Amino acid sequence: MTESTDPGVIPEPSGPPTHSQIFLGMLQVALSAFGGGLSAWSQRIVVEQKRWMSNEEFLTGLTVARLFPGPNQINMAVYIGTQFRGLSGALVALAGMLLVPFTLLMGLGVLYFSVHELPAVDRVLAGVVAAAAGMALSMGFKILNQYWKDPVALLLAAVMFAGLAFAHLRLVPLVLVMGPIAMAWYWPRQEASGS
Amino acid sequence: MALASVSVLLAAACKPMHLGDLGNLAKLIWQFLSLSLFSLGGGNTLLAEYHHLSVDKYCWLTNSQFADLYALAEAAPGPSSMIVGLLGLGAGWHEGPLWALLSAYGAEIAILLPSTLVMVMACLGWRQFEHSPLRVAFERGLGPITLGILFAVGLKIVRTADVTRAGTLSIPGVIVSIVVCVLMLRTRISPLWFMAFAGVLGALGIINR
Repeated sequence: MTESTDPGVIPEPSGPPTHSQIFLGMLQVALSAFGGGLSAWSQRIVVEQKRWMSNEEFLTGLTVARLFPGPNQINMAVYIGTQFRGLSGALVALAGMLLVPFTLLMGLGVLYFSVHELPAVDRVLAGVVAAAAGMALSMGFKILNQYWKDPVALLLAAVMFAGLAFAHLRLVPLVLVMGPIAMAWYWPRQEASGS
Repeated sequence: MALASVSVLLAAACKPMHLGDLGNLAKLIWQFLSLSLFSLGGGNTLLAEYHHLSVDKYCWLTNSQFADLYALAEAAPGPSSMIVGLLGLGAGWHEGPLWALLSAYGAEIAILLPSTLVMVMACLGWRQFEHSPLRVAFERGLGPITLGILFAVGLKIVRTADVTRAGTLSIPGVIVSIVVCVLMLRTRISPLWFMAFAGVLGALGIINR
């Protein structure tokens, strides 16, 4: 509901954020997003709260971040950083997004490897991983809807799925073969033939 | 589940790669560097490859340790792609905390560096690229590819998480996974609640492994 801010509102012309503001902003995004929903949080903080960029600029960034390889949230931090301060801005944004959460996670990791063999811990984890596996299972279904009306897309996805899950092919060679096939099929055509 | 028990046998036979020298550390870093540019549609498309590397190929981790680390990375704040740091930590754990942290940071930097460099170049040159046919084909072509990978990853994680020590599928675990999957799609409840609730089921012995 808060997604479409009034299009007439222009972000405050207070100049682009400084390096330390970018760092703190990204840190705030990273720590807000407990258990997922990172891009929603970064939109809330970067667009609505800090007004660093318009919603449109943010969505362009999200498109670029999703298009290119790499984790979406990390790519989004790079986009926000370069937008204001170029390469050094990207580095600062990445540091803000990663340093504190990663250090925290390493602490949790050390704790995990120290205690995970205790029977009580193992029992709890046996339950927790079942829920986490459910989250992993939902990822494909989340984007399935947009492909229902495109049989070729479903065929490509089915070939990838069968190759990985049943033929036990490795991801990299399979993507190198199927990626170009898919791109050739979806190459924009002038005439109204094909899809 | 004959397949699952075979993989347990294989895991038992596999010798863990020792990270206590720089050559092996470099190998670990190279593995993640070379995967980086294949993390399509967000980092999660690589999860099955991470499993292959750390459980089947190099035996840094057991099956259930991998599942635990996945859950840990999902639950902790920050990008869930930081799981690679945890895998690095596990890989170096037997060599002591210094090597563990070294391989953790090395692995995380390796998985992020190539894709981040490409992203920086993309941001700087986006205007020329935005309307090129290559971009359109890339975006539309890789969508279905990502879709197929995500289904394979989901299945792989379920088969990693919901197995008993004997290598058979844990039926209560699978039921909980399916219920959580449906709730993830139908509701906007934070997944942390699902993990907490399932953790209680585990403590009570309803889900075991």
